[in-house]
Amino acid sequence: MMSGPDSPAILACGLTKAFGTRKALDRVSFELPEGAFLSIFGPNGAGKTTLLRVLSTLVRPTGGKASLCGIDLTEEPDKARGLVGMISHQSMLYPDLTAEENLLLYAELYGVSDPKARVGELLEAVGLAHRRLDAVRTFSRGMTQRVSIARALVHDPRVVFLDEPYSGLDPHAIEIFDELIESTRADRTFVMVSHDLAKGFAMCTHALVLARGRVVSFAPKDELDFDDFAQLYRETVGMGVA
Amino acid sequence: MKTTKRGDSPNCHFAAKPSTFSQYKTLLAKDLRQEFRTREMLTSMGIYALLVIIVYGAALALTANGLDIMKMGGGLLWVLIVFTSLLGLGRSFAHEKDQGCMEGILLVPLDRSVIFLAKTTANVLFMLAVEVIAVPLFYFFFMTGQPVAPTLPAIVAPLAVGTIGMAGIGTMLSTITMNTRAKDVMLAVLFIPLIYPLLYACVTATTAAIAGTEFWTDYFVMPLVLACGYDVVMLLVCWVLYDFVVSA
Repeated sequence: MMSGPDSPAILACGLTKAFGTRKALDRVSFELPEGAFLSIFGPNGAGKTTLLRVLSTLVRPTGGKASLCGIDLTEEPDKARGLVGMISHQSMLYPDLTAEENLLLYAELYGVSDPKARVGELLEAVGLAHRRLDAVRTFSRGMTQRVSIARALVHDPRVVFLDEPYSGLDPHAIEIFDELIESTRADRTFVMVSHDLAKGFAMCTHALVLARGRVVSFAPKDELDFDDFAQLYRETVGMGVA
Repeated sequence: MKTTKRGDSPNCHFAAKPSTFSQYKTLLAKDLRQEFRTREMLTSMGIYALLVIIVYGAALALTANGLDIMKMGGGLLWVLIVFTSLLGLGRSFAHEKDQGCMEGILLVPLDRSVIFLAKTTANVLFMLAVEVIAVPLFYFFFMTGQPVAPTLPAIVAPLAVGTIGMAGIGTMLSTITMNTRAKDVMLAVLFIPLIYPLLYACVTATTAAIAGTEFWTDYFVMPLVLACGYDVVMLLVCWVLYDFVVSA
């Protein structure tokens, strides 16, 4: 599979992940163009987080193929990892290190050529340059999540995965988070797992509904009516978990 | 809010992929910085080692005259080291699990065995730091006044070889048990049988060094060579399997 300007940002073909006899993902297929924002909806246990973990190379699929920007995830996982940023409800930050030390750690591991300057620039962008020398454990949940955004963007990834990034955030923190995501959307592909149907639908360009590990619906937002989509989602939630 | 568009940062150029050694140094520096800031492992291991010595003192107080402490010294010292290490190794991935840090590291394009190597090195350093305090204390409480063999300084060799092996195996097992229920028990259940050959060899060599022996080659050199061989084999196995373990 070749990487090129025409390659979709994400291509999943029959993606399957089984834990023992239980299939968390069952032949998931979809194609997402570069620059799109995909929102993934579904009931608890539908396989949303597993899909994100497979696409971000944290978990190997048991069947099927997937590629990021033309790079096969199972054949060249290291190359694919360089394209991925992940923001989850867990910050992936070491609480006893400072914000700057955390970001420098990731910048150096990714091989950013001028880590200090890049970290300074990102802390400025997320509005935390004045707290750069404070330990992350002293930050509020909202501030931690802002550092987490900086961490995910430190290597300038092409695809950013958001795994329920709003959990535990108060309304003000959500507002700041939304502004930050909006400011980083240009030229990047986003995939977000969310339980907030209205918010996820408002942000996306494509929507995907999963239930019992299978794709119930995948379509560009232009082709969807929110009320019909909400009805479909309610029916899907009624289908229960895998 | 400033827009951070892809590719527009003058500071985000990528040199060649960082070398494995530079990634190793970065991860090791992170572990050391974190420990020196919190002192969680060093403090808990140090206090535990001290408590074991106090318990030894109570346990041996009434029977000391009937025991040859020089011949038991190696065994007692390794009991202290094994249980102190278990405590530290069990905690070594606590920070990685908190806040999903391990996943953050696994998202980076790096050879997984570098994570193993950096963590093992950090654990070796922490265990050695505790031994540097615990071993002289052990000597002070139980061996002063006893006839010391001139070979006593040679205990450094089995201590170093044993510590390296235990840190390597313990790091691997700590990764495996990180997400299990009752992880501390699981770690001990897997750790003790796996290190048994190493432990046996190191106890023999340490006892020979403390008590002195006329069969130096049989009781010191051979066990030490065996311990070194065990270290090499086990560390290589852990190195090779680590990618599979963290991905499973």
